[in-house]
Amino acid sequence: MGPESDRPDLPREPLEPEGPRVGVDEWVASADRLQDRPTGVAGALRRAGEVVTPPIQLAIFAGLAATVPFWLGTGDLFTYGIFVLLYVLLGLGLNTIVGFAGLLDLGYVAFFGFGAYFYAILSSDHYGIHWPAIVTVPLVVATTASLGLLLGIPSRRLLGDYLAIVTLFFGQAFVVFVNATNPVVAGKGLTGGPNGIADIDPLSFFGLEASTRTQQYYVLLVSAVLILTGLHFLSQSRTGRALRSLREDPLAAGAIGIPVNRLKLLAFAIGAGIAGFTGCIFGTLLTAVTAGNFDIPILITIYAVVILGGFGSLSGVVLGALVITVSFQFLAPENPQNNARVLFYTLIVLVIVLLVRSWWRVALVLATTVALGAAVQAAVAAVAPSWTGGRVVEGGRLGDLIGGWVVIPQGHPDFGNVAYVALVVAVLALTQIRPSRRIFALPAVAYLAAIVWETSFVLQPAVARWILFGALLVVLMNVRPQGLLGTPRVEIV
Amino acid sequence: MSAEGAPLLELRRVTKSFGGLRSVDDLNLEVREGEIVSLIGPNGAGKTTVFNLVTGIYAPDEGEIRLEGRDITGLPPHRIAQLGIARTFQTLRLFLNMTVKENVMAAAYGHTKAGVVRSVLRTPGMRREEREIERLAEERLAFFGDRLVGYRWRQPAYSLSYANRRRLEIARATAVNPKLLLLDEPAAGMNPVETHEITELIGRLREEGGYTILVIEHDMHVVEGISDRVVALDHGEKIAEGAFDLVATDQRVVEAYLGTSGAERK
Amino acid sequence: MELPLLSVLDTVRDLGWSGAVELFRNGLALGSLYALIALGYTMVYGILKLLNFAHGDVYMVGAFIGFGVLNAFGGSPSPTIAILPLIVLMFLVAMLGAGALGVVIERFAYRPLRSSSRLTVLITALGVSFFLQNSMLLLFGAQFRSYQSFQLGSDNPAAFEPGPLVEPLFTIGGVSFQRIQIAVLATSVALMVALTLLVAKTTLGKAMRATAYDHEAAAMMGIDVNRVIAATFFIGSVLAGAAGVMFGLMFSQINHFMGFYAGLKGFTAAVVGGIGSIPGAMLGGLLVGLVESYAQGYLGGQWSDIAVFAILIIVLLVRPTGLLGARAIQKV
Repeated sequence: MGPESDRPDLPREPLEPEGPRVGVDEWVASADRLQDRPTGVAGALRRAGEVVTPPIQLAIFAGLAATVPFWLGTGDLFTYGIFVLLYVLLGLGLNTIVGFAGLLDLGYVAFFGFGAYFYAILSSDHYGIHWPAIVTVPLVVATTASLGLLLGIPSRRLLGDYLAIVTLFFGQAFVVFVNATNPVVAGKGLTGGPNGIADIDPLSFFGLEASTRTQQYYVLLVSAVLILTGLHFLSQSRTGRALRSLREDPLAAGAIGIPVNRLKLLAFAIGAGIAGFTGCIFGTLLTAVTAGNFDIPILITIYAVVILGGFGSLSGVVLGALVITVSFQFLAPENPQNNARVLFYTLIVLVIVLLVRSWWRVALVLATTVALGAAVQAAVAAVAPSWTGGRVVEGGRLGDLIGGWVVIPQGHPDFGNVAYVALVVAVLALTQIRPSRRIFALPAVAYLAAIVWETSFVLQPAVARWILFGALLVVLMNVRPQGLLGTPRVEIV
Repeated sequence: MSAEGAPLLELRRVTKSFGGLRSVDDLNLEVREGEIVSLIGPNGAGKTTVFNLVTGIYAPDEGEIRLEGRDITGLPPHRIAQLGIARTFQTLRLFLNMTVKENVMAAAYGHTKAGVVRSVLRTPGMRREEREIERLAEERLAFFGDRLVGYRWRQPAYSLSYANRRRLEIARATAVNPKLLLLDEPAAGMNPVETHEITELIGRLREEGGYTILVIEHDMHVVEGISDRVVALDHGEKIAEGAFDLVATDQRVVEAYLGTSGAERK
Repeated sequence: MELPLLSVLDTVRDLGWSGAVELFRNGLALGSLYALIALGYTMVYGILKLLNFAHGDVYMVGAFIGFGVLNAFGGSPSPTIAILPLIVLMFLVAMLGAGALGVVIERFAYRPLRSSSRLTVLITALGVSFFLQNSMLLLFGAQFRSYQSFQLGSDNPAAFEPGPLVEPLFTIGGVSFQRIQIAVLATSVALMVALTLLVAKTTLGKAMRATAYDHEAAAMMGIDVNRVIAATFFIGSVLAGAAGVMFGLMFSQINHFMGFYAGLKGFTAAVVGGIGSIPGAMLGGLLVGLVESYAQGYLGGQWSDIAVFAILIIVLLVRPTGLLGARAIQKV
């Protein structure tokens, strides 16, 4: 068949090339060998990922998650535990549409809202209908899935970007509909207008009610585990392969017998169905729903979950939901500032660790930052005392420590703004410095970041949250577009 | 089953225009079962358009396309693939981020049937079908010797060399279990050794795989080596048809490739 | 549903001709803003195939810069320099500032991603949009700012006497066309004509068209693709900045969130007109502006967004590449 050479019948991993072989791709073989054993943290994670297979991952996740109600108080269980699981579910649904099938749906949150509202209409005091959950939940899921199908129909004719804008408008139309249009049906506004629908029945199956936070948590956990399992199996099946092919190259997929349009509709239906299901549960958790629960910020958060975790990766969704929900909560205005402060400084340290490759250099940078800060603080205190008079907002132990280290001026209200602008410029400039030289500038920038936090961010944590979020998206796409647990993709652009 | 004498693929008076440009003009073409037919012609002659028409990517403005006597004109591409026509692409369209084996397994979709419910529940029937699909993929990949087997199965397609990518695309096409294979410039960009291999490969595809093959090719060595029959196109029209020697020396064909003065010199 | 057709017809009749002309005037004004924004979207999409979600926020920054200049000179209603030079200065500073911002965004957020997938860049654009919006929020707070254009330069602001901006220039069918509205329309047209000439006649324009067609080929012809792309962003952002100041002068109230909806409508206009087509963006902008104005007048405020949405859907269903968009023939 080919030229003569000594080749084994079925080649094992090429350990050492036995000299050049005609007709056999030498470079690829050696490159493959290198790629198969990456070094460092990435390599360790990869090897870990191979050993800890998805079933084991799921078991670990379920096991750990099951213990959470035992060590989190009810309030925290709601804000953290339950909301993480809600976003896991929503992320899984979005992942099916965008990650599995590659369809950009910017109106996804409307499926969530539709499910919640529909369930609320059927099981609340609004119309006095109180259908049992065993009837309403499947009904709502089926209807939402059909809605997804409907929305998927224009996707056959629309290119990706157009689909994005149409779905975005659809999402907005939903919000407008429930908020303002609120048509009168059976003598009452269907969706309750700006007030929404309240007094939603708690979830109950066969007389068992999920009315405490712990019970609701477990309902969500079981649902998440089941859906994760189902999606994993789906991904490993011919349908999953077909969806991935569709995402890669719809034209080629069609050419090998894959009904591309039908699969797009399927992806929409599954994703919408999951969102509808989550909507039902959501309604029972909050016992009330309003349009504000289903607007752009929520959509963006769901996207953040999937983006951070990595499109197409189920475990990524779980990780993404965890990181995003916890971070957002830490930075919520109602939360004590110390959580947020801890988060922010951890973030700074993390950035330094990621930028500076070796551990001892990291220590060096951190030490220099601390020293620099102390020096600046002392110098300013000596020269212009009013400039260090300010107090740290809502201190605590860490806050007191920081207070003596960061320059916080008193009576200079614009200082925070100036510092912020300076920080943005500094970070942009940092990207332009050669990596080997960057390390010298890092301590100053880190100290500046701390100043910005204490004088500006901490006063408006909700805004800071979105600023950091926007910056995170930009940085993430530049540095690691596949997200934390996704696989790097090659695209023909 | 095609009746005795009926061609496997038939194009009758097929015409396709893009804007003002007539890409395929009143074309009549036949491919009989078991044949290897080569489609030649200068660039822009409409050869790939013919492939696109046959596989349903475009619908012809006029004319009919029949597979085993059945009218397939205007059917969507996936339907045509399921009815038994598979192709490779001139510019290679692999699923780059999927593994070698997955690329081939994906092509089995059209003739397998485990649905969403059975997949999610992982029924024994679905698992059995999965094993069969996997065996099919391994078998089709083994056709190329040991180039695409073993550790290669798990490699992402983007890591393959150019020649291996072409082979993978052919393997993927065969996994559709087609009756008719359309190969669009299978030897493009290959060195002489690889070109020789491709020539032998196409022959083996017919002998061992039983496929009927329609090939677009520019390399005349390949065309000579594989063809039962050669069809020459120029500006969308058929200008010659017959055995290789006949067509290669046909005045019109030479003119089409070299221009009239070139033809005179030749 | 809440929209009996008869009541709509009643409203149309009640508003009568003068109402229709008034809505037309508003639609034109709004439409020219959307057209300017749409141009930025369409130019960037034509060259990079990128939906620059941050574009609307550049428009917002332009409005704020204009406000800043206005206040730097004493602010409405008693500015320290004459009205006309003040307005010209506002435009110039805002346009340059917005242009610079656009270039910076391209340089730091999009250029590193030149060879990444479309989704990646889209997400980055979203991130930039959030970053900009909330940075403005952080720096300037949430309260609305007002150009107070009604009283700008007025002789007697305390008595709510209107300033020269809102004085009618002429009246048609009982509807007055304010000076500022005419000025905005004229300036928009002037800018669009300038852009069309730039793209059609200048070397830069040719380079832009070439790069939009094929980056690599353009580079091989000696075109500095990076410079061309930066210039495209600059021009698009300049137009958006101008639109921002125009909005402030016409409607007074600006806030950090205005970029989102304006950007959305501007993007819709670009899509409706055919994304990648410059005359399409202008046509689309006008169409969206008129639809929104008439929907607001005849159907009521909450329906105007849905009406714009409906136009988008209808156009995309009938002509998937937009009204003036090129039919994309995919080479297989």
